Amino acid sequence: MDSQMMTGNLAAAWGARLADVDYIPAFPITPQTEIVEALAKWCERGELAARFVSMDSEHSMMTAAGAAEVTGARVFTATSSQGLLHAFEVLYSISGWRAPLVLVNVSRALAAPITLESDHNDVLAARDAGFLQIHAETCQEVLDSILMAYRIAEDERVMLPVIVNLDGFTLSFTREPVTVPDPDTVRRYLPPFRPSHLGFTASSPHALGVAVIGGTPYAYFRHQVHLAAQNALDVHREAAESFQALFGRRYDLVEGYRLDDAEDVLVMTNAGASTGKAAVDLARAQGKRVGLLRLRVIRPWPAEAIRQALRGRRAVAVLDQNLAPGQGGILYQEVAACVYHETARPRALCSFIGGLGGQNLSAGEFHAVFEQTAQAGVTGRGCGPVLLYSAEEHREMTQLQMVAAGSVKREW
Amino acid sequence: MVAVRFHGRGGQGAKTASRILGTAAFISGYVAQDAPIYGAERRGAPVAAFTRFGREPIRERGAIAHPDVIVVADASLLDDAVAHVLDGVTGQTVLFVNSSLSADLLRTHLSLPEQVTVRDVTGIALQQLGAREAISALLGAVAARLVGLAWEPVRSAIDGELRDLGLAEPVIERNLTVARQCYDSVEPATLPQGTAQAVGAASLHQPTYEPPTKGTARIAAAGNSVLRETGGWRTFRPVLIPDKCNGCWLCFVYCPDGVITMNQEDRPVVDYDHCKGCQICVHECPTHALIAEREQEGGVAWTAK
Repeated sequence: MDSQMMTGNLAAAWGARLADVDYIPAFPITPQTEIVEALAKWCERGELAARFVSMDSEHSMMTAAGAAEVTGARVFTATSSQGLLHAFEVLYSISGWRAPLVLVNVSRALAAPITLESDHNDVLAARDAGFLQIHAETCQEVLDSILMAYRIAEDERVMLPVIVNLDGFTLSFTREPVTVPDPDTVRRYLPPFRPSHLGFTASSPHALGVAVIGGTPYAYFRHQVHLAAQNALDVHREAAESFQALFGRRYDLVEGYRLDDAEDVLVMTNAGASTGKAAVDLARAQGKRVGLLRLRVIRPWPAEAIRQALRGRRAVAVLDQNLAPGQGGILYQEVAACVYHETARPRALCSFIGGLGGQNLSAGEFHAVFEQTAQAGVTGRGCGPVLLYSAEEHREMTQLQMVAAGSVKREW
Repeated sequence: MVAVRFHGRGGQGAKTASRILGTAAFISGYVAQDAPIYGAERRGAPVAAFTRFGREPIRERGAIAHPDVIVVADASLLDDAVAHVLDGVTGQTVLFVNSSLSADLLRTHLSLPEQVTVRDVTGIALQQLGAREAISALLGAVAARLVGLAWEPVRSAIDGELRDLGLAEPVIERNLTVARQCYDSVEPATLPQGTAQAVGAASLHQPTYEPPTKGTARIAAAGNSVLRETGGWRTFRPVLIPDKCNGCWLCFVYCPDGVITMNQEDRPVVDYDHCKGCQICVHECPTHALIAEREQEGGVAWTAK
């Protein structure tokens, strides 16, 4: 297998191309644009036999995506940040229709203030939308996860849409070697999409997403979405086994890094986990027994896998690259909830907030995280949410505030 | 606590009647609560409204499952299973029906509780107010009398509610006069003395996954709305005067519910089981061959099959 240098965005486009999608409604937004540009080019050249349509907004884009999917077409689309939020109400409809399309989200922090760089408040806002969520760490994982996403989504035991998430800039515009799977092997991995409850036949109309009043039918259908999402835990394992057999790479719900004898564990997601692994290596070199748990699948929530990974640890730190104002880290809450019933639960649970809007996570900050976590493990008292923000960053911020307030005179 | 449930059709004022009762109880010094429930708002469709009042804080919300009093604004609802008018009725429940028929006549095909009061509120409204559907103040007054509220707070509540709806002063005055007549025409009822019953744990069903063909909010049976007869929504029915019809098909085109078909002589045939009585066909007919005829209770009126 030959690999080539490509960005996370191009890897995402390759995922859609190899999945042989039928329909791509698109609306560009930084840092996602390269995905739809690549797909538009391939459709134009006839290298991808899909219908590519530029829409007038992300709301229209998601509506078109869902509508096409329920006719029985395999649909791919991509967005980011404000675009995801603009499409938001449609997400819930699509999962309610049980329309298993794949949406790539290129994470970008939300306005205001406006920025272009990554954090996860965009994708995690959609955590309750009934979409499954796979968060990728590498460009290779972006491509592979899209193939797995279609396989899982279209399974009759699941039949739910999937968001595959990659970080803006740190993955979307970052080139690294990616192996492009052989299309014939992908066809074996991804059978044609033949949903039993969807499709379009003029002579036998059916209605989806119908009105239900009185609560009971609504509750039943929402329960079904939940049960379908939970089924995805098993279906993901099967999809991972089959993927490994065909392509040699293995992806599980969570990924442990140097966990075997780790006393303290750092929990992270997405591309930031690479930096976290480097920090683990550095700390290990200094004799600290630390490891990292990367959450790859966020929905369904892999509670059992997390419990197993964190059982018996001294202390656990969740580094959230998101912030729920007035609450703290989003994933910290979910990790805390799922280890509560574990009898051998960690002695201390710490919450750190870092990397907001692409904010740098320095080696020194990781060092501080490991120190505070170890301390919490000794005392048995967790900490946080600790807002990671260095003294050096604060000096830079103070300068900017002076410029913004007009207290710095231009000297030319 | 006293629980009063109102049943009516969209446009008849069941909701306003429940507000009048709620406000009247509130002015009388009770703790009170009122709320309506309806689907996508449609004139003629069954609606319900609920009023609770008492001396203690009210710990119930939403629909009233065990009413002390039921006020029915339209007798045709008694025949409509979807309206659930008689749900939760016991031998002690007080029932009021707006109908031109007698309680005995209603009893011939329905199992009704002992205390049934029937008044032709619609007839009174038509005669004195000149409008068939303006019966909210009248129903509110009747309900307030049945539960034993004094007239003055009722008068004040009607005045407030109708003013809030933007009605003109003379209209409000006429409503108050007729409402007083209705109030005086009924006697306070003997309300059930309910005591809270101990309740066992519900038997819970563990939801299990079902294939998407079943587990998706999806209707594959085309055209099943024919199963839901909506003929009872009418207050007036379109009737054809064949001699005047020029066979232009405009009624067929304009009918929003598709209940008009054309026969071989190009004359409209109305499906009265489903016609909601919107009168658009009557309005559009260029030769006035379709006229609106008032539905007569016990006569040609629609009854659910």
